[in-house]
Amino acid sequence: MSASSSTPALEVRGLTKHFGGVYAVEGCSFVAPMGQVTGLIGPNGAGKSTAIDLISGFKLPDSGTVLFKGRALEGLPPHVIARLGLIRTFQAPREWPGLTVLENVVMANWDGGREGFLRGIVGLGTSQRSRAFDELAWAREILEEFGLTQLRNERAGNLSGGQKRLVEFARIRMAQPELVILDEPMGGVNPVLGERMAVAIEAFIASGTSVIVVEHNLPFIQRVTQHVIVMAQGTVIAEGPFESLRSNQDVIDAYLGELVTQ
Amino acid sequence: MSAYIVSILTEGAIFGIMALGLNVIWGWSGDFDLAYYGYIAVGAYMTLVLTIGPPTAPAHYILGLQLPYPAAVVLAVISSMAVGLVVGLIALRHLRGIYFSIVTLGAVYVMYVFAGQYVPLFDGYNGLSGLFDPMGDWFGLDYLSYQWFLMGLCLVMFGLVLLFMWRLSGSRFGMALRTLREDERAAAAFGRDIYRLKLKGYVLGAGVGGFAGALFAAYLSAFNPSAWSPIEIIVLYAAVLVGGRGNIWGVVLGVFIMGIVVQESTRFLPEVPGHPQIVLALRGVIIGLVLVLFLRFRPQGLLPERRFVDPAPKLEPATRTA
Repeated sequence: MSASSSTPALEVRGLTKHFGGVYAVEGCSFVAPMGQVTGLIGPNGAGKSTAIDLISGFKLPDSGTVLFKGRALEGLPPHVIARLGLIRTFQAPREWPGLTVLENVVMANWDGGREGFLRGIVGLGTSQRSRAFDELAWAREILEEFGLTQLRNERAGNLSGGQKRLVEFARIRMAQPELVILDEPMGGVNPVLGERMAVAIEAFIASGTSVIVVEHNLPFIQRVTQHVIVMAQGTVIAEGPFESLRSNQDVIDAYLGELVTQ
Repeated sequence: MSAYIVSILTEGAIFGIMALGLNVIWGWSGDFDLAYYGYIAVGAYMTLVLTIGPPTAPAHYILGLQLPYPAAVVLAVISSMAVGLVVGLIALRHLRGIYFSIVTLGAVYVMYVFAGQYVPLFDGYNGLSGLFDPMGDWFGLDYLSYQWFLMGLCLVMFGLVLLFMWRLSGSRFGMALRTLREDERAAAAFGRDIYRLKLKGYVLGAGVGGFAGALFAAYLSAFNPSAWSPIEIIVLYAAVLVGGRGNIWGVVLGVFIMGIVVQESTRFLPEVPGHPQIVLALRGVIIGLVLVLFLRFRPQGLLPERRFVDPAPKLEPATRTA
């Protein structure tokens, strides 16, 4: 990857969070390079999801720092972090079930200038009107790209699990964040759809969105990532290209087990 | 008979404004707010204390400013919004679902007891009276023509509130409120400030409720804690539910059905000798039955929330080869 390594997309230093006496994340530090797909793997209970919640502002860390494009994020609420250009997904797809697929995609674009209360009544100026028009056209294009055009007027809650994953990806395309953190995007996804998602992740990179992906599906991790971070018991135990981790004894002990060594 | 129709239409229009305000809070934002009737009461009380004269013993109440009715309405709406803001700031911070409802129930109970027990505020359980035909003398109206005037005023105001809600419903603000109702964590993950947005919706709803209360005060010319019974909020919820939560036309239909058909039809039930209360009790039974049936068989209401339907993509017109 030729992307500059001067400022990483995300830098996490000494992130710690405990619930009661249990340390979910303890002294977790890693760097996700700009313009790359970084994998985050580890056994259940390793603290991956808590780490994502801490980074995206859904939980407050006990200590540690999170730097996004060099800016400290810890303590900021989720919506501010999202507006700065860091979008995260959730383990279960979180569509807006009562809204249509198209509405789900359009509303993924936060547009503060048009979401005010007064704007709703007084109406929009021509420049904002054309912005709304462009936005709709852009959303339709994205739906076409993900093969969701036929479903655009369907309420998102009626979709299958796999289709909801696609809607989630379409929303990220719409939001155009600088960094997206995908929390187990392959959960309940068949191999054909999986390939489509791998292609979509490549498209994220091409459009300037760096990616962190948490996943248990190791072939997928191998397929899409350039760099992998392994967490266990709340901290990072190894990192590097996926191939190099296969032979790492700590990683084998903690996570890979005998599956990959054979 | 015409006096009966005039009173039904006036009540219906006021009831419609109440339901449209509740629809912002419950229909769009998705919060089951039990304090809503409190904002209607604040609107009604404030309109009264601002328009009637100073208290004469033994009555006690604040203000008594004899302001013109329109000015009083504006201030009453602001008062309702202020009370809504205080309740919202507390209840919407972290609480959702049933916990939010419990806190708002507590809030409305505090308001109710305070209005009833703290006599110097709104004269306790005696309540306030004396707002006779506001704006009537501006146009030199007698009692009968004033009833027509008030009906027209309420219907026009209902139309304006409806127009306002229609604009809001399709707006980006209305859509943002719906994303909160549908999944607020996802809404936050895509940049929406949940607390602020919910608070805006809540205060707006409270203001609309207060406005309905201000019209209600003109219609009743009096207000006291007995005008403020717990069943009222259930009827409002029933109207929004039956018509279609989130759909303003559904709310209008629901108001027609619950407010007029159900409320008024029981008037024609035959009186049971020796049991004068039974007809009124039946009304409660009917409302409860309608609620249960709708929740069981058609929870989305008669007119479900509209969605934006994107038309089929237009085919490119064939290029002419002339």
